[in-house]
Amino acid sequence: MANPDATGPTSGSKSDEQVSQSLYAKAEKIYPREVHGLFARLRVLGVLSLLGIYYITPWLQWDGHQALLLDLPARKFHIFFITLWPQDFFYLAVLLIIAGLALFFVTALAGRVWCGYACPQTVWTEAFLWIERKVEGDRMKQQKLDALPLNARKFRIKATKHFFWLAFSAWTGFTFVGYFSPIIELGHNLLAFNLGSWELFWIVFYGFATYGNAGFMREQVCKYMCPYARFQSAMFDKDTLVVSYIPVRGEPRGSRKRSVDPAEKGLGDCIDCTMCVQVCPTGIDIRDGLQYECIACSACIDACDDVMDKMGYDQGLIKYTTEHAMQGGTTHILRPRIIIYAVILLAIFAAFAWSFSQRIPLGLDVIRDRNTLYRETGDGLIENVYILKIMNMDQADHQYELQVSGIPGLSLHKDMAVIRVESGAIMELPVRLRADEADLEMRSSDVVFELLATDDDALAVSEDARFLGPR
Amino acid sequence: MADVEVPKQQKCIAILWPSFMVAIVASGLFFSAFDPHDLYPFGQQTEISRLGIYSIGFLLFWLVSAIAGIGTLYFAITNCMKNRPESRDQ
Repeated sequence: MANPDATGPTSGSKSDEQVSQSLYAKAEKIYPREVHGLFARLRVLGVLSLLGIYYITPWLQWDGHQALLLDLPARKFHIFFITLWPQDFFYLAVLLIIAGLALFFVTALAGRVWCGYACPQTVWTEAFLWIERKVEGDRMKQQKLDALPLNARKFRIKATKHFFWLAFSAWTGFTFVGYFSPIIELGHNLLAFNLGSWELFWIVFYGFATYGNAGFMREQVCKYMCPYARFQSAMFDKDTLVVSYIPVRGEPRGSRKRSVDPAEKGLGDCIDCTMCVQVCPTGIDIRDGLQYECIACSACIDACDDVMDKMGYDQGLIKYTTEHAMQGGTTHILRPRIIIYAVILLAIFAAFAWSFSQRIPLGLDVIRDRNTLYRETGDGLIENVYILKIMNMDQADHQYELQVSGIPGLSLHKDMAVIRVESGAIMELPVRLRADEADLEMRSSDVVFELLATDDDALAVSEDARFLGPR
Repeated sequence: MADVEVPKQQKCIAILWPSFMVAIVASGLFFSAFDPHDLYPFGQQTEISRLGIYSIGFLLFWLVSAIAGIGTLYFAITNCMKNRPESRDQ
């Protein structure tokens, strides 16, 4: 847990306003100090690319349609050149399993890099912190402003901040809905004040979720609400990359002038400037050891390296390391845990890729007419009626040939000469099968419908059905 | 545990947040299997758009799982906690 003495300058200027009742416990508002350095640059790069992907993707077009559109109203997922149907739910489930396993693998290898660089909670919080800094100024200015009683200036600054936060959140909500409902149409409807009520509901819902999570709840989401944060330590071992303070080098900590030789005063390299605490977005002191709250954002590494440079000491008093390395041993990257995770991940991914490559974008359902079991035609044949549902899940239109087998002399009758189904369409085709009673061995015989595209041999499916007769 | 008064906000989050995640999974599974247009709620064909039915379905799943969460929280209070004199006074 955070050392109460180490909260730095904030502890002196605690006001009632700063200590607000938060979700789970009385928590002091955290004002993370802006940090510069290698890892901060990496995080900015991560944040900008992820936000860029999020806000731009729904606007991309592919072959005349939105490139990535999880079209819930039409029950089709368009992912560039692939269109997934509800029947393909299996693939989505496997993809989620792959994503989960990949997270386990990365966690075992490199710790919580997901949390520090790629998690949406981190990404949007960084964006909101950036807006806050642009409007309210740096950490000190923010703290001073919050300590003031409400006046016109404070109101103006706070209102500006919330205006930008809300505008950004609204845009986020709009983009989110744009993944599920064609975004260009959505934009037109928005400008014409003609949004569907549910679309508006979800824009507002997602917008407020963004505003609340990134503006107010921030690190508390990681501490109290994130399931991953609760179980990530199960993937950790002594060779997992963690952000750590090196106590043997830093202790005993203590302030000193730059000119003083620490060895003479009996001090370690930590000058107790509390920079690592001030930059921490979750408000912990990394010098207390590895903590559940640490999201491995490595802001403290950047901050400490900067201080070490100024003091003329070696960098790396706080650094990425492993427990084994800290105990003077060597870090083993290849170890049973990593190999097992990697093998499972690769196996599932290979199975997924193989199965997906075998996917036939053509669906056939056969529904027997429920009203009559069978009927006799004028010329003494037994007739069964079926409705075929033909789903063309391909991105091109196709013509199909239909064949049926299973009973000798079975004949197929349909009203349509050619079966032509447009891309993405479902055709309901009534068909009649006729057979001679003499050819029926049982009351119920198995028949097989086979559907084949005339222009592509790979597009072939078959479906079993029953043919009922009097016997 | 019994000595600590659980804050109201924590109770709310503990009910609303897991049930929210469950509702996402439940509505995902349910509506992958069933097309809203094939459903006849209370024997009636509905005029509501698919997006509307998904949303209502999601909110209902959320409500139902939140009710389960309220039940969990309620039954987590053990007899001995009920029997404590200070809680009897209330």
